[in-house]
Amino acid sequence: MSPDGAEGTPSPLPWQRIAVGAPGVEFEARPPGEDVLDVPDTECDGWSTAGLTVRLASVRGAHHRYYGKPRQDAARAVPHTPTGAVVFAVADGVSSATRAERGAGEACRAALERILLQLAWSPDALDLRDVARHAAEQLRRLVRGRLDPAGPSTAEVAGRYATTLVTGLVRPHPDGPVVELCRIGDSGAWLLDSRRGAYWPVFPAKTGSDALLVSNEVTALPSVPAALEQATLRLTPDQVLVVGTDGFGDPLGDGDGQVGALFARQLAAPPSPLWLAHVLDFSRETFDDDRTLLAIWRRSPAPPR
Amino acid sequence: MAEIKGVLLPAYVLADESGSMGPYREELSEGLVSLCEGLRAEPMVAAKLRLAVLGFADDVQVRLAVADMRAETSLPEVVIRGTTRYRAVFDDLRQRIPTDVQWLRGQGYKVHRPVVFFLSDGQPTDGDGWRRSHALLVDRARTPTAPNIIACGIGSAEARTMLEVATRPEFAFVAVPGADIGRAISEFFHSLTASLVSSGQALNSANPQLVVNRPDQFTMAIDEVGL
Repeated sequence: MSPDGAEGTPSPLPWQRIAVGAPGVEFEARPPGEDVLDVPDTECDGWSTAGLTVRLASVRGAHHRYYGKPRQDAARAVPHTPTGAVVFAVADGVSSATRAERGAGEACRAALERILLQLAWSPDALDLRDVARHAAEQLRRLVRGRLDPAGPSTAEVAGRYATTLVTGLVRPHPDGPVVELCRIGDSGAWLLDSRRGAYWPVFPAKTGSDALLVSNEVTALPSVPAALEQATLRLTPDQVLVVGTDGFGDPLGDGDGQVGALFARQLAAPPSPLWLAHVLDFSRETFDDDRTLLAIWRRSPAPPR
Repeated sequence: MAEIKGVLLPAYVLADESGSMGPYREELSEGLVSLCEGLRAEPMVAAKLRLAVLGFADDVQVRLAVADMRAETSLPEVVIRGTTRYRAVFDDLRQRIPTDVQWLRGQGYKVHRPVVFFLSDGQPTDGDGWRRSHALLVDRARTPTAPNIIACGIGSAEARTMLEVATRPEFAFVAVPGADIGRAISEFFHSLTASLVSSGQALNSANPQLVVNRPDQFTMAIDEVGL
């Protein structure tokens, strides 16, 4: 018998936190509180349909771990079997909202349900404004059920459940998968050129690169802007769709630094979901927000690693 | 936007060093030390702040240049001197803040709107001369890096003046009548530390806000003026 156990027992080394530049402070995370029953510190998921491969991970940021707050990001993806599409949503609960984690989760669930319903009615049409409005209405219903049967004000709903949202779908197509998505707030989406390691933002950055100061303004559900940001694009063979909250987007920046290089390498092919969560939990000084990342690849003929 | 090293809140403490503060020099020094130690005890918050301490009287003198408090080992020392020239403060900040913001950006950081904590025990001795400089400093069209200003008055500083200095009515405070001035100074620094920690904690949120805590021994200046 070896000191590590039975002969032949695997003895892998524990994963070490990945430091990007100067790491943040290391500490044991505090629990998020007894009233948070269904928001684990880390979530990840991964699967493939005939034409698409999905990976997603969401990790609690160092700030929330240190101060005993729940992760306020959420992400969900489901397949739509009749069309082969993948429907997705990523949300970042606004931390000034008292139940931001619930708002983010509910917005994702409502968006997915609405898109699946639309696909059932009309597989070729997608009304993302209707999806956004439905998600906002679901947040209102949460408040209405709890407090005031007459109907809450937008400010009341925002005070409890405000959240950003990026949602949409990817449909298989002979010329390459087609992405349709929209966003409310400052979460982001990128096309990663996995051959060149370059990121193309689907939506404009929340603060222009020439702005002297960062902006503190963010639109969030239940508000739905009159001019909803929407995009339709096609994935080329080298492109990966990447959707993320600002906990990922802020350290990524233009993607031409260390964080961009790390993820360009790690997303060159679909990683295991657990490994994606580990990489996403990288340590970098001052970047202590929750992080969520969802990536969708054209199905590779080679088996995923 | 190239990859950034972080997003920082530059914070400036403007401490009145005029002659009338002489009896309270010890409380002022101890308050600054407690501020520095309080931030060092919160390294995750301190990582997102850069603190400067400036003493003002006839002019402005740097007691602590924009510093990362996790690494800063020196403690600011106050020097009591001269009269209370507010214009010197605002002239200085109009030069200093844009330069500091550009320097931080050059170091690879993004920068939140700076915040100034202003503590004075007296009315300005330079008449109305400070108002134009103050107006230029807080005008975001003319000074894109215009700071938020929190103004705290003690001693003979008037509520109406603190309201003029602060950038929002809820950012102006005066010591309650009859308050012990030494204790009010201590409370100012306790509140300042708490405000910076709270603001630092809120900086990573989707809707970061400046958090300002009213110091014990102080009231809202607007309540005193009755506007």
